Order: sequence, then C-alpha cells, then structure tokens
Amino acid sequence: MPVLNLLIAWLLLPFLAAFSSALLPRMGRGLALVCALTTVAWGFWARVPEHELLFELIGNLGVQLQLDTVAAPFLLLNGVVVLAVLVDGWRSPPPPGPFLLLVMVLLGGLNSAFLATDLVSLYVALEVVGIAAFLLILQRREPSQLWIALRYLVVSGGVMTLFLIGAGLVYLHTGSFRLQPLQSLPAGDPALAVAMGLVMLGLLTKAGVFLSGLWLPQTHAEAPAQVSALLSGVVVAGGLCPLLRLALLLPSLQPVFTWVGVASALLGVVYALGDGDLKRLLAWSTLSQMGFALLNPAAGGFYALGHGLAKAALFLAAGRVPTRDLARWGQQPLAPALGLVVLVGSLSIAGAPPLLGYVTKSALEELPITGLPGLTAPLTVWVLALLMVGTAAVYARLCWLPMGGGAGVPAPGALLLTLLLVLLGLLWPGGLPALSPAGAGKALAVLAAGAGVEALRRAFCQLAPGVHLRLPDLERMVDLLGALGMVGVALQLALLRLEPLSAELAVREVAWLG
Amino acid sequence: MLDPFRLLEALVLLTALVGFQGLIWRRNLFLRALSLDVMGTGAVALFVLVAARSGLRTPILARSDLAASRLPLLAWADPIPQGVILTAIVIGLSIQALLLVVIARLSHVDPLLDTSSFERLLLEPPAAAAPPDRT
Repeated sequence: MPVLNLLIAWLLLPFLAAFSSALLPRMGRGLALVCALTTVAWGFWARVPEHELLFELIGNLGVQLQLDTVAAPFLLLNGVVVLAVLVDGWRSPPPPGPFLLLVMVLLGGLNSAFLATDLVSLYVALEVVGIAAFLLILQRREPSQLWIALRYLVVSGGVMTLFLIGAGLVYLHTGSFRLQPLQSLPAGDPALAVAMGLVMLGLLTKAGVFLSGLWLPQTHAEAPAQVSALLSGVVVAGGLCPLLRLALLLPSLQPVFTWVGVASALLGVVYALGDGDLKRLLAWSTLSQMGFALLNPAAGGFYALGHGLAKAALFLAAGRVPTRDLARWGQQPLAPALGLVVLVGSLSIAGAPPLLGYVTKSALEELPITGLPGLTAPLTVWVLALLMVGTAAVYARLCWLPMGGGAGVPAPGALLLTLLLVLLGLLWPGGLPALSPAGAGKALAVLAAGAGVEALRRAFCQLAPGVHLRLPDLERMVDLLGALGMVGVALQLALLRLEPLSAELAVREVAWLG
Repeated sequence: MLDPFRLLEALVLLTALVGFQGLIWRRNLFLRALSLDVMGTGAVALFVLVAARSGLRTPILARSDLAASRLPLLAWADPIPQGVILTAIVIGLSIQALLLVVIARLSHVDPLLDTSSFERLLLEPPAAAAPPDRT
C-alpha cells in the first residue's frame, strides 16, 4: 500500500535527516525545512475523516500507529511551529551546536507521539521528545540554564518512570499495551485505577496541566526564545494529544479531565495575572490554555492548534522586545512588526472574532454531556465565561502598548504565524462564514470585561504604588515533585470513585462525539 | 496463604514508591538522581515479574521438547514485557548519564549540590541572572 509506505518513510525522515545533518551540517536547514513541510502536508491530508489509517508495524504485537483527525491538528501545529522557528533564524548565521539536529529529532519524536496508540510507543516517543527538549534548553551553558534543564529532566524522567509502571500494570490486566482494550474494562476497577492514574499523571505532566505542570513556567521562561516557542507551542501538545485520545476512547474518564482542566485554567490565569515578567506570563498562560483544551476532547486538538500558533508567535516576539519586565512594558514603543505580532497573538488567544482563536474557542464552548459533575449547567457556563474573562485580562495587559517606535525589527517567523492566525480564522470552515452575531457579541463582551479587569488593575497600581500582592511560590523543586505525588494520589481516588456511564448517557455521549 | 505474585508485585511497587519519596524529599541533587534510579529499578522489576507469570525460561532458544513442558521452570517467559523493558532500560541509562553530566557541571556552583543553592540562581534580579536574549 503506497500511502502506508510513504507514511512510514515520513515518520523516519526527521531521524534520518538529523543523522545526515550531523555528517553534513550545511544541509541542516534544507533538511529541517523538508521535514517541517512534509509534516504540514500530512497534517492537512489527515484532517479528512476518510483518510484515517490504523496500522501495525512488525505484526500484531508490534507498534501501533493511527493517523486520524485527532492527530491532524497536532501535526499541522508541529510542522508550522518548526517552520516558523526555522524562518525566524533564516537570515542570521546558523545557530550554534546541534540546534537543527535537535529540532529535527524533536519534530520526529512529536510526530510519533501524535500517532502512537500504544503505551510503549508513546513512552519511547515522549522520552525522545523530553531528551531533545532538555538538550535544546541547554544551548547556552550558563548555570541558570543548566539548572532549569536539570529540573526539567528530573521531573520528566521521574514521571515517565511512573508512566512506565502504569503501562506495565495495564499489560498485567489487559494483556496488551494498546489503548483500545481499556474500553472493555469496567470503570472504577481498583487495579485499573492505579494503572490509569499513573499513565494519566505522566501525560498530564508532559502536557503541563494543573499542579503537575508547575515545572512549566520557569522552564519556558528561561529557555532561549526559539526554544520557548517550540516548548510552549508544540512540546506540551505531545502530552495533550494522547490525553485527548484517552478521553475520546473512554468517555467515562471525562469528568476527571474536565475538573483537572478547569482547575488548571484557573491556576494558570491567577498566576499569569500576578506575574511581572513577559515570558513567565506567557508560560503561565500556556498552563491555563492546556487546561481549556482538556474540557472538550472533540475540539481540544483544534484548540491546541489555535493556541500553539499564537503562543509560538508571542514567544518568538518576546525574544526581541526591549524589556521583559511588564512594569516597564509600554514605556518604550515597539517596532510595528513586533507590535503587530503581539497584538494579533494576544487577541487570538483572548478570542477576538475574526482570528483563529475565536473559531477554536467557540468550537470548545460546547461541553461534553458529562460536563462538570457537581455543578449545574448554568453555573458551568458562568465558570467558563469567568475563565475566559481572566484570559482576556491577562492578554489585555500585553495589548496596552504604544506602537511605531524604531525601524522594523525583523521577526519573520512570528509574522508568518500571525498571518496564519488571521488566514485560518477567516478560511476555516466554521470561521467567518459561520460567525453568528450572538457568538461575536459574547466574544466582544468577554474582551471588554477583560480590558475592564486590566483597567482596574492599573488603577489599583497607581493608587497604591509599591503594594504587591504576592502569590505563594510554587516553583521550588520539592513543590514540583510533591505536586506530582498529590496529583497522582488525587487521580487514583477520583478513578476509584468513577462510575460507568449509564446506558442512556453513554448513547448521548457517543452521539455528541460524532 | 498470600499469593506470591501479589506479594512480589506489592514489593516492587513499594520500591518505586520509596524511590519517588527519595526524589521528593532528598535535598542533595546526586541523591535525587539516585532515587530516580531506584524508581527505574522498580519499573524494570515489575516488567520482569509480569513476564515471569507464564514461565521462567528466557524466550531466546527454541527447543520444542522443553516448550511443551508445563513445569513453570521450563515454560517460556512472556517475551513482550522483556523486549519492552530492554528499550526502557536503555532510555533510563541515557537519562541518568545526562543528569550526571549536568550535575557534574553544576558542582562548580555549589560542590555540596544542595538544591536550594541552585534555586537561588534564578531568584537574583532578572537583569543579572538572565539578560534578555537576542537570539
């Protein structure tokens, strides 16, 4: 089957290209470009449901991969963000050391993670991604970066070991590492709760969600700008995609995902509002956006695409702004090119109408039937609206900036992403053509409320200069690792108390998932 | 009578848990890396145990007269977990190596490898610790 052969060749391409670029460094950029473009092409191809492809390598005990509509937005995101990072550094001399090699390995590892549907392939792919990300953070070998990279590797290594133990327990109970047999097991089974709790903890940590994602802000803030764009744009998606697969496969898990998602969105928004550093604000916002993406497994991938493009653009721009200190933000005018990137990126994540962020957000708002157990439906709608206002308030802070100072600082990669945010928002089916007055009105109201919150914050700062509301510091190493333990235990308890969906609810859920 | 498999499984999981506790509470970076290795040992032992459910013989040599045997000592071990854990051992080893390289480098900052002295690196005013990067 030619399609299958092409697909396998494409999956192997980044690794072969990385190896070749080590031997022939001059070809590095060209090879990386080919890898990124082919990834975009496959993502575009896979968005059609008829093109779904489930295949096994080396017989029915081997690796199982699935190219489908779940993976499609993630593949597009991966290709485009890597492309933007390459374009961003195209004119400057090639980056030092094995930057391009690592980017290709990262791309290849993420592609495999998006397609993998068995736990062991997922483990290997995520470890490849983790090691590549670790080495990318380490580009400049200053002590602070060494420390950040070490911290990342310890958290990632620890949690992936727990993931592996979870995978072993799943094998013990189902006789297979694949995700599909999990469907036949009853929800709330104690043996399975331990296994699934560990697997989910691993994926939640990799996706940077809630307390298990506390490693994320400092890591993403201290990495070099291009690496931050990769980390916050796509690397977190490596954990998110398998989580969405799990949620789609096992609808009875959805209440857990929804609660974790809401908690993560809230935590991220509160800390982003309280932070005074541009890159840390963006990183905390990533933590909250990953929570949003978990709320609705059917639209989560698309949401991650919208967020990843905007966040990568913002991080690329953040590497070139005169100051990262938000207290002095807006005192020096930004060059028009950078200002445009910051404005469009911020507005897209906040959900302003014609942009991609608006389309993805309106797709997300329809919650699964299982919703938020324990909360009534109207209350759930208000909680969501509140979280979205919080997001808008975070980004209103960045939009408050004078423009037009200085000649254009070239930020080609970020501009490419900005262009895509606008174009995809206009062209995507369900985008501008389906823009309803009610939806647009609601989005504008959320933006206005966000701007209002930001105005209040400014007024407060002027009234009482020097007063800082300090949020508790959650980013010491013992906090990160202790939080992993807490989330792990909480997951076990939640999974033990899970009940199978009632037959009627299950039918409605399946219909809703389409 | 307690099922020996369950007992071993509990002990293996306990090993991993002890490693995880060490990872959280040890302040010395080297001991944290060592705790990670203890967790890894737990994971490897679990897979070996899972593989040994069907039999104990290494699934390499094919001898049909032995394969038919029902004695646990002569029956095949399950090859899949064993194959999987080989990959995981290699990955774990490489992560340990990377950790130790970075720890060796960081020992220039604080030879005692106390975690809090590295956390202080980032608490310095951002201008001194991390200049705005212009990559």
